[in-house]
Amino acid sequence: MNKKHRMFIRMVLASLLRRRSRMMIALLAIVVGATILSGLGLIYYDVPRQMSSQFRNYGANVIFTPSGSSEMDQDEISKAAAVFPSDKLEGYTPYRYENTKLNNLPVTIAGTDFSSVLKTSPYWHISGELPDADGKALVGKKTADKFGLAAGDSISLRNSFTITETTDLKNIPDQEIYTDPKTGEKYCDHTLDLKISGILETGGSEEEYIYVSLDDVSNLTLNNRSCDIVEVSVAASKDELKAYLDEINKNSDALEAKPVKRVTASESTVLSKLEALVLIVTIVVLALTMICVATTMMAVIAERRREIGLRKALGALNSSIIAEFLSEGLVLGAAGGIIGSVFGFLFANAVSMNVFSSSITFRPLLIPAAIIASVAVTGLSCLIPIKGAVDVDPALVLKGE
Amino acid sequence: MFFRMIIGAFQRQWKKMLMIALTVALGASIATAMLNVMLDVGDKINEELKAYGSNITVVPSSEAVMSNLYDVEDTEAKEEYLKEETLGEFLTIFWANNITDFAPVLDTDAKVNDKAVKLIGTWFNHHFEYVKKGTTYERDTGIINLRSWWDITDGKWLDEAKLSGDNYAMVGKKLSAELGVKAGDTISVKGDAGTESLEIVGIFESGDDEENYIFSTLPIAQQLSGNTGKYKKAEVSAITSPDDELAIKAAKNPELLSGDEYDLWYCTAYVSSICFQIQEAIPEASARAVRQIADSEGKILEKTELLMALITLMSLIGATLGISNLVTSSVMERSAELALMKAVGAKNGQVTLLVLTEIILTSVIGAATGYFMGYCFAQVIGQSVFSSAIEMSGMVAFLVTVLIIAVTLVGSIPAIRMILRLRPSEVLHGGH
Amino acid sequence: MKLLELKNITKSYGSLYALDKVNLSIDKGEWIAIMGPSGSGKSTMMNIISCMDKPTEGQVIFDGRDITKDSRRKLTEFHRDKIGLVFQQFHLINYLNAVENVMVAQYYHSMPDEKEAMEALERVGLKDRAKHLPSQLSGGEQQRVCIARALINSPELILADEPTGNLDEANENIVLDLFRQLHKEGTSLIVVTHDPEVGEVAERVVRLEHGKIISDKKNKQFTE
Repeated sequence: MNKKHRMFIRMVLASLLRRRSRMMIALLAIVVGATILSGLGLIYYDVPRQMSSQFRNYGANVIFTPSGSSEMDQDEISKAAAVFPSDKLEGYTPYRYENTKLNNLPVTIAGTDFSSVLKTSPYWHISGELPDADGKALVGKKTADKFGLAAGDSISLRNSFTITETTDLKNIPDQEIYTDPKTGEKYCDHTLDLKISGILETGGSEEEYIYVSLDDVSNLTLNNRSCDIVEVSVAASKDELKAYLDEINKNSDALEAKPVKRVTASESTVLSKLEALVLIVTIVVLALTMICVATTMMAVIAERRREIGLRKALGALNSSIIAEFLSEGLVLGAAGGIIGSVFGFLFANAVSMNVFSSSITFRPLLIPAAIIASVAVTGLSCLIPIKGAVDVDPALVLKGE
Repeated sequence: MFFRMIIGAFQRQWKKMLMIALTVALGASIATAMLNVMLDVGDKINEELKAYGSNITVVPSSEAVMSNLYDVEDTEAKEEYLKEETLGEFLTIFWANNITDFAPVLDTDAKVNDKAVKLIGTWFNHHFEYVKKGTTYERDTGIINLRSWWDITDGKWLDEAKLSGDNYAMVGKKLSAELGVKAGDTISVKGDAGTESLEIVGIFESGDDEENYIFSTLPIAQQLSGNTGKYKKAEVSAITSPDDELAIKAAKNPELLSGDEYDLWYCTAYVSSICFQIQEAIPEASARAVRQIADSEGKILEKTELLMALITLMSLIGATLGISNLVTSSVMERSAELALMKAVGAKNGQVTLLVLTEIILTSVIGAATGYFMGYCFAQVIGQSVFSSAIEMSGMVAFLVTVLIIAVTLVGSIPAIRMILRLRPSEVLHGGH
Repeated sequence: MKLLELKNITKSYGSLYALDKVNLSIDKGEWIAIMGPSGSGKSTMMNIISCMDKPTEGQVIFDGRDITKDSRRKLTEFHRDKIGLVFQQFHLINYLNAVENVMVAQYYHSMPDEKEAMEALERVGLKDRAKHLPSQLSGGEQQRVCIARALINSPELILADEPTGNLDEANENIVLDLFRQLHKEGTSLIVVTHDPEVGEVAERVVRLEHGKIISDKKNKQFTE
């Protein structure tokens, strides 16, 4: 590095450090621009992910049904669910439906896993409590109204069936086997007493069922066949989801995984609108902000016309003046870009915490992008007024007021 | 003299003034566009969320009431229906304009070639008129918009406006495979009360149980089941406001609200108040919110609105900093000129007043331009994202005006402090 | 030997003649004061001599070379090598300290050298103020920095435009003493002024009025 380069750096640094108030103004403008750039950029990239988990409130977007060739048992379900990355899988809930009788009227009971049911059906309104142990039931509002049931009541479900030669007697207690005195037919009359812990309101068909634990269904029906359907809630885009489902269907004979079209199709419609909204807002705001940065930089440079004139009078070539001012602008742009990316990240994170209660995904690539953008904008907005200033006759500038 | 100086300043410094006006205009346009989009985004996203289908179902209210008798022998509950005339009442309620679509549904068991099937009679895009107390209500409505997720794999949607008569049907993909039928075929459907031959207009894929059903027009279902002039339930899709504490309180029992609360609740498009109004209009019906849809809508709307509000806040902070920054720098730049004015005897107050008048005049011009630019940006956003105009709120114009004036004044503070500190001799002697 | 020759120089702005067929020749080592009221064409002449402006008509011969036809870039280079400028408003760069302001001139000329720059400041008596910013210096000190900057590249000609216009008497004398010293060392000096005292100390006084030279004579202390 020769003396000339050292003097160059000395001048640039002096201009940046000793003209503090002006440089602060320029820096502030750039920092604001870079903050908005990186902040909105981060938000834009994170919105699909964050929103997608909000859309999980619509409940399951995938269902597993038995494919018929083999039993859809717990192992098969866990194996299939393991295909989804754990951070994307909100939860999965098995359901087993059986017809039984309450007060001699037919009702449908649904056996499920209460620990995960609210993950796949977050929209359930429960007055009372979700059952936390076997022997407790959640009754759909329609059924509750029909039978005049309320939380805290006890019900007795009855399962009676005729015993034929094919009936497996292994699980049936002897004292529950009766013989019809008239026909001589043997039949089983099995009851299950349950306590109602809550009433379920959804506005949908769920209100017709009585929900109990899977074990209770086995106790009542005296068999433990596997479930009919598994509802799965996965926070993933349409394409990702398709890839996961293809993988599951390829590897499992026991079950078939299908998207819930109503949820997935509608989600991609709405989500694409939301993404487009944030994108265009980002573009508009960014464009306007960058013009703002440019006008401020222009004002800061325009102020130094006389200095440019003096340098020319001292024999500076246009190219060396441009080089000096531009490097000042570039240093400012880079500094502003770095500070702005930090503020942008903090801002985006604050937005994410407030709106989605989760921190934003940090994208390292946005930092160089913000720096490059602010350097480019600053450089360009310096170049325009400098180009104008260096062509001005130094005599006029120096003589002028 | 004062005015001459102001005009003089504009003439001499028009380039700088133009730059300030431009920056103010940009800031004002960001504020205008973002505030308008923010205020309207709820409605826009709400309309998009209608893709999920109906958020209210209307069923006969008597169905819900049944005496609690132990060991009743009669196991079949009697089916209840609503009269077709009641459908018109949806158009008469307070929030009728928020009801984007609705469709009656009448399902009946039927047989095709001796195979038991379920047939659903409904409206597809039904043109509908209802006259009440001399007022005619009109609407085109049906399930086409309530089943946005259906894919028509063969044929097309059943278009009531283009087809004459009622004997048409759409068949679910699974069922069509089982029956071996395709679009254009005619099937004979036998119900409890008659037989109809229907032309299949389209085959649809829905990803749920509906793929096992036949969807036909309401009159066909009525004739097949013998329920002339009746429907079983109605699906209603309404634009609603997210539930808040008032809505939750009202949902339990509207009677418990105070008079003011009741009015506020009634006049807000909560899903519960719309349900309540439907029940008022049709006493024999019970309107229920479909929690899966209504709740999720509320959550997503809330998040979107909050997100947009924070982005707007960020843009506003950016715009205000940008403006005040430029105002500060442009006044500082004129220190020599202002010092000269002080040197020839102008008082601090006079110089300050002059500078402020100049800046505020420039800002007002900039703000007015910016408002119209913002209007354009808002419409660009509305058209490109939602294909509909963004509604401009008068409040925004007011807010932007106040904001710009405040920002300009705040931006002038450091400059004014500099004016007060300025000692003429120093500035004029120290070169620049 | 002639340093500079103006031949039939005319500078017009439309119908207004700032300089009207001016002829002037300056020898090497001469100290000339150009005097005249405002609007007489002093500044225009100074700008033409300093290559910052081009005449409408006529020739400028500097060191035996006609520079009126040179390109802008060539002129800039030429001017940088041969001429040092001193301004009425000093025109120091306000964020550079005294020695850095001197070094800027070296920087654009050849190679900055802090030692040489310090020597230049020492010559104008400002060695101990070298690290001060222009705002921390008095008017006279600023003008001395300006002179140090003008002579750092050992120019053949120093052009000073109202060098004492913003100075009090004490500082004016310091600046004039510096000029005397430079003159003694053989540097050519052209001083544009309307201050008779500044004119009196010069070797030769040229009076301009309405763009024309109305008198051109040697001061008596130099004729003896």
